[in-house]
Amino acid sequence: MTRSALQVTNLSIRFGGLVAVADVDLTLNPSEVLCIIGPNGAGKSTLFNLISGIYRPSSGKVELDGRDITGWPAHRIAAAGIARTFQSSRLFNDLTLVDNVVIGMHTRTRSGVLDALLRPRKARAELTEAAERATELIRSISPHLYARRHMLAGALPQADRRRLEIARALASEPKVIMLDEPSSGMDDRDTDALMADVRRVMAERPGLSFLIIEHDMRLVAALPDRVAVIDYGRKIADGQFAEVRLMPRVQEAYLGQKAAQHA
Amino acid sequence: MDALVAQHLLNWLVLGSIYTLVALGFSLLFGVLDVIHFSHGDVSMAAPFVALAVIQAVTVTLVPDGGTATLILAILAATLVVGLFGVLVDWLVIRRFRAAPAMMALVATVALGTVVRELIRTLYPQGSNPKPFPALTTEVLRLGEVAVPVFSLIVIFVSVATVAALFWLLNRTPVGLRIRAVAEDRAVARLMAIRPDRIFAITFFIASAIGAVGAVFFASHAGVVRFDFGVQLGLIGFSAAVIGGLGSMQGAILGSLLIAGVDTTVQMTIPDGASYRLVFIFALVILVLVLKPSGVLGKPVFEKV
Amino acid sequence: MANHELSLAQPRPATGPDLAIVAGVQLGGAALLGAFLLGEKTAVVVALLAVMGAIFALLQLRPGLEERIVSAFRAQRRPALALGVGIVLAYPFFMQGSSYALHLLVIALLYSVLALALNFQLGSANIPNFATGASYGIGAYTSALLALNFGVSFWLTLPVAAVVATIFGFLLGFPSMRTRESYLALVTIAFGIVVHQLLNNFSWTGGPNGLVGIPAPTIFGHSFAQPIEVLGFRLPSQANFYYLSAALVALSILSAKRLHDSRVGLAWNALRADPLAARCQGIDVVWYKMLAFGVDAFLAAFAGTIYAFYVSYISPDNFTFLVSVTIMTMVIVGGMDNTLGVILGAFLLTLLPEKLRIFADYRLLFVGVIVILFLILRPQGLFPQRPRHYGGPQ
Repeated sequence: MTRSALQVTNLSIRFGGLVAVADVDLTLNPSEVLCIIGPNGAGKSTLFNLISGIYRPSSGKVELDGRDITGWPAHRIAAAGIARTFQSSRLFNDLTLVDNVVIGMHTRTRSGVLDALLRPRKARAELTEAAERATELIRSISPHLYARRHMLAGALPQADRRRLEIARALASEPKVIMLDEPSSGMDDRDTDALMADVRRVMAERPGLSFLIIEHDMRLVAALPDRVAVIDYGRKIADGQFAEVRLMPRVQEAYLGQKAAQHA
Repeated sequence: MDALVAQHLLNWLVLGSIYTLVALGFSLLFGVLDVIHFSHGDVSMAAPFVALAVIQAVTVTLVPDGGTATLILAILAATLVVGLFGVLVDWLVIRRFRAAPAMMALVATVALGTVVRELIRTLYPQGSNPKPFPALTTEVLRLGEVAVPVFSLIVIFVSVATVAALFWLLNRTPVGLRIRAVAEDRAVARLMAIRPDRIFAITFFIASAIGAVGAVFFASHAGVVRFDFGVQLGLIGFSAAVIGGLGSMQGAILGSLLIAGVDTTVQMTIPDGASYRLVFIFALVILVLVLKPSGVLGKPVFEKV
Repeated sequence: MANHELSLAQPRPATGPDLAIVAGVQLGGAALLGAFLLGEKTAVVVALLAVMGAIFALLQLRPGLEERIVSAFRAQRRPALALGVGIVLAYPFFMQGSSYALHLLVIALLYSVLALALNFQLGSANIPNFATGASYGIGAYTSALLALNFGVSFWLTLPVAAVVATIFGFLLGFPSMRTRESYLALVTIAFGIVVHQLLNNFSWTGGPNGLVGIPAPTIFGHSFAQPIEVLGFRLPSQANFYYLSAALVALSILSAKRLHDSRVGLAWNALRADPLAARCQGIDVVWYKMLAFGVDAFLAAFAGTIYAFYVSYISPDNFTFLVSVTIMTMVIVGGMDNTLGVILGAFLLTLLPEKLRIFADYRLLFVGVIVILFLILRPQGLFPQRPRHYGGPQ
């Protein structure tokens, strides 16, 4: 029996009186794609922020590869092997595409201030090597991005920004990648390319798992192994998309109670 | 002993009132425009000079010894002129940094402070030298053992009245509603047919006029004024607004009272306190910000992701 | 200009024009600076300012020109470096023995170090720090006190003062764990004022009168108070400190370059652009912020030590809040995160008020107006940040 890549148990957070995420359990197995769906404001992004350490959970537990990472600061969680993208993609806009991806390798490179000052050859060699790997990574994601690798990230159109964010996430060689609405702002063709990207990346990196917040039902139907539904901060369903979509509670959450009764 | 405590309390309230009048402007401008107007202290400090010029003009041309009436006229004129000066300063310089990073506006207003100070110094006759500033009144009330200068009562009364008027304006009038709308969300306010630029001008007028009153009291309290007094008054006012919580009017008042409290306590209790007052004031600033990073009444910043 | 883009991708043309461009820019810049330093007539100074203004207007209107110059320097790195070092070494000999011109150069060089120090924070990482003047002062007082009270040699006080200031720098960086932006700016302002006021009040720092009689450093028996005599030339004693400060600037440039082109520089840039996204890349934001405070204080203390031994007399008023503001203005006017720009900003803002003395009473007014105009007209600074180039052909 394999250990789960990411194990979330009873995770909750309260902001003042508001319970944004309540007692959520999630299991993400190695080499699995799990989609999280749910209405707007259901607490999906908050869940991501809890797992990636931007918020501290009020209670509950997060384990990565069997290691308890609950309450760790964000940078340590990133170093432990969870990479993420943001709903409104957050690139380093005033830096080049290569710089962006090299920064993604921060936890996989070592040089500190003293290395940079006193052993510049070593530090520079490390960074040059990182830049080469970053360039390769960008090339493998998209030839289009590769052609623009020395441009500033702020100049990229939306779909390219999402791709670059995924490249940056991959650069840290994570165990789990969390994508927050990767297909928003993409047309069907871009979304197809995105799904192809995820499948290819998974084929190349055995063990890598994806946790994806998504609204595009075409993607949700095609890509993930499993789907979890969040509503009002609680998980209300978890399983195959084909089964989950038929559950009355899920339909209520999506369509509203009345519509569900009529359906 | 009780008399001493009472004296101490009175000093505290006077200083607190003066600082409040300056801090309110910082907080108001930050709340509405998201700008740190670092030259606010210098702009405010123009007021005593305008007042002196008016007194001079009146005594020379009209009445040789106008007394209190002249002084009041001069202060009202200074308040109005400095209010408009604030609007001008925004129109000439600060509005050009609305879309710029906060650091740019900060440095620009720091440079602007130099310009304002130098303008005062070069435009006012012998502007480099300290100028005696007349006391509003030298009368003293005796309440048992406690000597209460009428000036102190005036300062406290005017400050309380000003604060009350500001709160009334912000919370009970159509203009106040518009100011709060612009502070909340500029774009939405524009959709509601509010012209943010006009609101900004009004806000600058209010902030500068209130600051002007504070600066005049400061000068009158010290009995003297110099072109560069605005630096320290501005720094203290800014600190008060920040430790109270930028953008919060109640915070500005609280911060001012805190700083004035430390100020008077140090001066009263520590030997050579006058030279150590700034050390204690700014140590307090650091301490408060370490413990409460957004100020005492500031909203904690929640990172939007 | 359009086909210039293409030419980058093609094999480089002959090196002749590149060399000419490098030599022209360096010698032209040196000549312009020299004329400005030695110019005494109002008309000459104003004319030189007009020439500089015209050059920047040209660069502003024709961005391709800057690109061409940069690519020439990149192609001819070694000759450019050699020529640069040569010019710096030979420069005092062209100052017509003017100790005033050399004095201005020393001060400008020291401010360049301070501006480069602050650039690590403000330019690379966008951390406001209004206390660089305080670190400068801590460095100056530490070394002066060591020299006066314990007879410690200048060369030993340099590293000691730097370490002391760095410790204070880290302490100052400590609140950055939780406070941010304007609030952090105020913490640094408050720190600067506390340091200034304490220097002003303690008796062991000499109070407002400061410390007097700091002995001139010596090296191999040569006192820095003595003129330099080489090959029949006689350079005023300020030349000693000119070379010392120039060496410190060189060290600062080297450090700046090495840090910028390293993982550390990238991490700073990341937290400048988006601190939250930086955290999610595994960057320990608090540590990198404190590090920036430490590096800033370290370099500033070096400058402080040299200043103390240069003027042999320091007082709290050399290290006020306004000094910190001036340093910050240098970085912003020069161009954030651009080494050359920052140095140029330091030179401009040191020399301008001095040379505008002819306008006596109005010079601070002018400087203030010029800074504001600069921020409005060229907010990115004289020379804005440039994208990184990694080793190897691109």
